[in-house]
Amino acid sequence: MEFINHHVLSFITFVPLVTALVLLALPSLALARWVSMAGSLLCLAGGLHIWAHFDAASAGMQFTEAYAWIPAFGIRYLMGVDGLSLLLLMLTVALQPLILLSLWGVDEKRQKAFLALFMVLETGMIGSLVAFDMVFFYMFWEAMLIPMYFIIGIWGGSNRIYATTKFIIYTFVGSLFMLVAAIGLYILHYQQTGVYSTSLLDLYQTTPLYETQMWLFAAFAVAFLVKVPVFPFHTWLPDAHTEAPTAGSVVLAGVLLKLGTYGLIRFAIPLFPQAVETFAPLIVALGVIGIVYGALCAWMQKDAKKMVAYSSVSHLGFVVIGCIALQAGGQQMSVEALTGALYQMINHGVSTGALFFLVGVIYERRHTRLLADFGGLAKAMPWFGTILIVATLSSVGLPGTGGFVGEFLILLGSFQTSALAGTFASLGVLLGAIYMLTLCRKILFGPLDNPANKELEDLTPREFGYLVPMALMAIVMGIFPNFFLDKSRASIEHLAKNYRNYRLTATSGMLHESIPTETAEAGH
Amino acid sequence: MFWMVIFFPLLGAFVNGLVLRNRVPKLISHMVGAGSLIAAFVCAVMTFPTVLGENAVIVHGMDWLQAGGFHAPFNFVLDRLSGLMMLVVTGIGSLIHIYAGGYMHEEDEVWRFFAYLNLFVFMMLLLVFGDNMLVMFIGWEGVGLCSYLLIGYWYESDANAAAGMKAFIVNRIGDIGFLLGIFMTYKVFGTVSFSELREIVLSGAGMQTLQIEAIGSITLALFIGACGKSAQLPLYVWLPDAMAGPTPVSALIHAATMVTAGIYMMTRLNFLFYLAPHTQTVVMCVGAATALFAATIAIVQTDIKKVLAYSTVSQLGYMVLGCGVGAYSAGVFHLFTHACFKALLFMGAGSVIVAMHHKQDMREMGGLRKYMPVTHAVMFVGVLAIIGFPGLAGFFSKDEILWRAWTGGGPIIWGMGALAALCTAFYMVRLLMLTFYGPNRSDHHTREHLHETPVHMWAPLVVLAIMSALVGYLNVPHIIPFPAHGLFEHYLEPVIKMPAAAKEHWEHLEAAYPASQEWLLMSISVLGMLLSSGLAIKLYGNGPAPALAVWRSRFGGAYDMLLNKYYVDEIYDAYIVTPLREMSHFMWKVIDVMIIDGVVNGVGQACTLIGGLTSFRMSGSLHRHAMVLVLGILCMLTVLIF
Repeated sequence: MEFINHHVLSFITFVPLVTALVLLALPSLALARWVSMAGSLLCLAGGLHIWAHFDAASAGMQFTEAYAWIPAFGIRYLMGVDGLSLLLLMLTVALQPLILLSLWGVDEKRQKAFLALFMVLETGMIGSLVAFDMVFFYMFWEAMLIPMYFIIGIWGGSNRIYATTKFIIYTFVGSLFMLVAAIGLYILHYQQTGVYSTSLLDLYQTTPLYETQMWLFAAFAVAFLVKVPVFPFHTWLPDAHTEAPTAGSVVLAGVLLKLGTYGLIRFAIPLFPQAVETFAPLIVALGVIGIVYGALCAWMQKDAKKMVAYSSVSHLGFVVIGCIALQAGGQQMSVEALTGALYQMINHGVSTGALFFLVGVIYERRHTRLLADFGGLAKAMPWFGTILIVATLSSVGLPGTGGFVGEFLILLGSFQTSALAGTFASLGVLLGAIYMLTLCRKILFGPLDNPANKELEDLTPREFGYLVPMALMAIVMGIFPNFFLDKSRASIEHLAKNYRNYRLTATSGMLHESIPTETAEAGH
Repeated sequence: MFWMVIFFPLLGAFVNGLVLRNRVPKLISHMVGAGSLIAAFVCAVMTFPTVLGENAVIVHGMDWLQAGGFHAPFNFVLDRLSGLMMLVVTGIGSLIHIYAGGYMHEEDEVWRFFAYLNLFVFMMLLLVFGDNMLVMFIGWEGVGLCSYLLIGYWYESDANAAAGMKAFIVNRIGDIGFLLGIFMTYKVFGTVSFSELREIVLSGAGMQTLQIEAIGSITLALFIGACGKSAQLPLYVWLPDAMAGPTPVSALIHAATMVTAGIYMMTRLNFLFYLAPHTQTVVMCVGAATALFAATIAIVQTDIKKVLAYSTVSQLGYMVLGCGVGAYSAGVFHLFTHACFKALLFMGAGSVIVAMHHKQDMREMGGLRKYMPVTHAVMFVGVLAIIGFPGLAGFFSKDEILWRAWTGGGPIIWGMGALAALCTAFYMVRLLMLTFYGPNRSDHHTREHLHETPVHMWAPLVVLAIMSALVGYLNVPHIIPFPAHGLFEHYLEPVIKMPAAAKEHWEHLEAAYPASQEWLLMSISVLGMLLSSGLAIKLYGNGPAPALAVWRSRFGGAYDMLLNKYYVDEIYDAYIVTPLREMSHFMWKVIDVMIIDGVVNGVGQACTLIGGLTSFRMSGSLHRHAMVLVLGILCMLTVLIF
C-alpha cells in the first residue's frame, strides 16, 4: 500500500503515454482498442485509489512524490494532489474510458494513431494537474497542445487547418507569456532567498514587489484566460469545436478549458495576490461580459455544435467570476464562490461533454449538425431525447442537477463581494435557458416531417454505454453535492482564507524535510 | 408517515417513467399514477394531526449543500400552512389524477403523462415543505420543469413546444428575482432557513437598522419571483399560452397548485413582508391591477380554456392583493377555495372538450346541458362559487379580500377589485350560457356524439362541487350570524406573525370598523354581481351573435383591444424579443466575426508576411507545423535549463 501511495500519481500520469507507444507497435486496430481501453481503465483505477485514500481533512499536497532532477537549478520531479486538483483529476480519468468507448465503432483513417494521440493527451492533462514544479507543469501544459493540434488538424472538418492553426497560435502565444513570467519569478525567488527552485511550494513564498506582481500576473493571466477562454480571447474556441471530431470536442470542453481556470487558482492567485486584487474587477467584468455575450451568440447559431461551443464561453464565464470573487482590502476570497467555481468546472465537463457526445450521435447518423435539418426527434429517438433533456437541464442549471449547485454557489458568492457583478451574472440563468431550450426544441420537438429523420435508429448499446454514465453523473452531482465537495473543502478554505500569504506543504506521500526547501536530495 | 407523503409521488413517477414505460396497458399506467397519489393523500391525512400544534415541527433530512458559511440541509417544515397545502396538493391532485385517466384514454403515451404528473406533485411537495429557501427553490424550479414538460406533452405540435418554452423562460425571469432574494437574505441574515429567519425577525433582538432597510430589497426581489410563478403583471403572459397542455394539467398545475406558489412563498415569509411596507404597496397594486386587467380580457375570449386561464390570472391577482394589504389568511383562504372551484371548472371544461371532440371554441357549443346533465350541474355550482354568489365558497373568500382592500388599500384599490368581480360574474355566466344554454351550434357529426362522461370522470367533479359549495363556511365573517366565525383565520394564526416593529403600518388589520360599513360593501358587490350576471344572461342566453352585434356597433375599438389581449404579446415581441435578437445577431456577426476575428486574422497575416521575408516560414503542412512547434519547445527548455 505504501508503495502504491507513493507512486500512484506517476503511474496514472505515464500509463497513458506508455499505452500510446505500445499502440503504435500493435498490428491491428481491434487490439489497439482493447489496449487503450485497458490503459485508461488502469488510470481510472489509480484515480479511484486516490479518491478512496485521499485525506479530506488535509489542505496539503497528498500522494506526494519528489525526486531531484537537476539540483543545480533546483528543478525537481514533484508530483502531488490536493483538494483543488482532485476533482478535476477524477473527471479526467473518468472521461477517458467513455471517450474511447465513443470511438469504438468508428473506423476512419489512421484510427490507431488517433487513439494514441488521445492517450498522449491524457498524460498531458493529468500531468498538468499533478505537477507542482514549474518546469514539469510547463512541459505537460505544452504537451497537451500537440495531440490536440493533430486531432483537429487531421481528423477535423473541412476548415480544420484554419481552426487548428488558430487554436495552436492562440494558446501557444498565451503560454509564452507564462513562460517568460515563470522565468522572471524563478529569478526573483533566487534573488530573495539565494537558492534556485522551480518548486511551486517555494515559489509561493516569494513576495514580489507590487509593480513586479502586476507584470507577472498579467503574463500568467493571459495564458490562462486564453485557455479558458475569456472574452475577447475566445474566438479560437467556436472554430476549434466546430472543426474538431466529436471526441476531440469532448476532451476540449471537458478538461482542457478547465486547466485555464485551474491555473488561475493554482498559480495566478496565490502567487500574485495583490495584483489579483487590482485586476479582479477587470477580470470579473470580462467574465460577466462572457456570460451574457456567449449566451447571446449561442442563441444565434444555426449549427448545433457551434451553439454548444458558444455556451462554453458563457459557462466558463461563471467559473472565472467564481475564481476571482474577492474584494480589494477584503480579508478573504469568497469560499462559496470558489467552491462553486470548482464544482462548475466538473459539472461543465459532464454536461457539455454529454452535449458534444449527443451532437456527435446525430451527426454520425445524418452528417449534418444544422438545427434546421432536425425536428421531432423525440418521436424517432426517445432515449436520445431523454438524455438530451437531462444534459440540457444540467446545462441550464436546473436544481437537481450539478449545474445548479455550481452556478448557485458562484452567484451567491460573487453577490457577496459585488452585488453588481452578481446581479448581471444572474442574467446568465435566463439566457442559458433561452438558447438551450431553443436547441432542444429545434432538435427534439415539432413535427417529425423530414423524411431523413423518420427512420433514425435510437441509441445503440454502445452509445448508451457512454451517455448514461454522463447523464447519471449530472443528476448525482445535483443531489449529493456534499459527497464531492467534502474532499475539497479543506483546500478551498485554505486558499480562500490565506490567498494573500499562501503556503502549501506536503502531508502525505514520500515526505522529506526536503520538499519545502532546496537543499535536500529527494528519492530513495 | 410524513416521508411517505413525499415518497409515493416520486415512486409513481419512477415506476411509470423508467420501469414500466410503454410495456404495460394504459390502465396500469393510470392506476400507478393515480394510486400513488391516493396513497400519498391517505398518508397526508394521517400526518395532518402533527401540524396542528402551535409550533412548527421540523423534520431533519440529509445535509444537502454546504460551502463556507452557507448551509442548506434537506429540512422540512410541518406547520399549519404547509399542512393545508399538503392536503390541497394531494387531495385535489388525487381527484385530478383519477379524472385524467378518462381524459387521456385516447393518448398513446399515457405513462409519460402520469410520470410527469407524479413528478410534479413530488416537486410541489418539496416546494411546500422546504424549510429553507434553497429547498423551496428546488421545488420551485422543479414544478416549472414539469409544467414545461406537460405543456409540451404533445411535443409534435409547434404551438405546444413554443408555449412550454415560453412558460419556462418567463418563469426564469421571476426566478432571477427569487435567486437575488436568496443572495441578499444570506448576505444580510447569514442564513436562508425559514425557521431561523423567523426567529431572528420575530425576536427582533439581533435586528439592526441595516437589516431592516435591506428587507425592502429582499422582499421586492422575492416578489418578482412570485410574479413569475403566480402569473402577475407583467409576467403573466405565459399562463394563457400554457393552456395548450392537456386539460388535467391546466386544472392541477395552472389553476389549483403551482401558480399559487408565489402566494404561498409570500405567506411563508409574511413576517418579512410585514416589515417592508413599500414592497407591500407594490404587491397590493400589482395584485389589484392584475385582477382587473385579466378579468377584462376574459370577457371576450371565445376559447373556453382561455377564459378560464385569464380568470385564473385574475383570481391570483386577488390572492396577491390580499397579501399586499397584509391579510395573508384571506389570501390563503382564497387560494384554498379557488383550488376547489377552479379545478372543478377546468375539469368540467375538459369534459366538454372531450364531448366536443377536442373543440374548444364556445361559439360552436351551446345547449350542452341536455347532453351532459351532470357536467352542467357541477359547472353551475362552480360558476356560482367563483362569481361570489352568497353562500358559496368564493363569496366568503373574495369578500374578505375586498373588505381588507377597502380598509388597507382605500377606495381605489377596492374599486379595482370590485370592478374585477363584476367582470368575473359577467364572463363566467357568459361561459355557462354559451356552453350549456341556448341553441346547440355544433355541426351534425359532433352533435351526434355528444355524451356525458364516464363515472370516473364526473365523480371527482361532484366531490369538488360539494367542496366548492361548502368550504366557504370555514371562514365566515363575524358580521354574519353563524355558529363559528373565522375558523380558517384562527387556524393560520400561529403562522402569520407580525413583528412588533411593523405594527404601526398595519393598524387597519386590528382596528374595529362599524359592521354597517362591511354590510354596505358586501351588498354593493352582491348587487353588482347579480346585475352583471343578469346582463350576461340577457346578452348570451341565445348564443354569441346578439352580443357580438352590440360589441361591434357600440364598443368596436374596446372589443378589438380586449380580443387581442391589449396587444401585450405583440408589444413584448416588438420591444424586447426582437431587439434582443437583433443585438445578438450584431454581437455574433459584427463583434465576433468581423471585429475580433478580423483583428486576430489580421495579426496572423501580418506575421505571415514578416515570416515570408525570412526563409523560415509556415508552409501549411502539418508536419512542418509540428516540427516547428516541437523544436520551439525544445529550444525554450534548453534555454531554461542551461
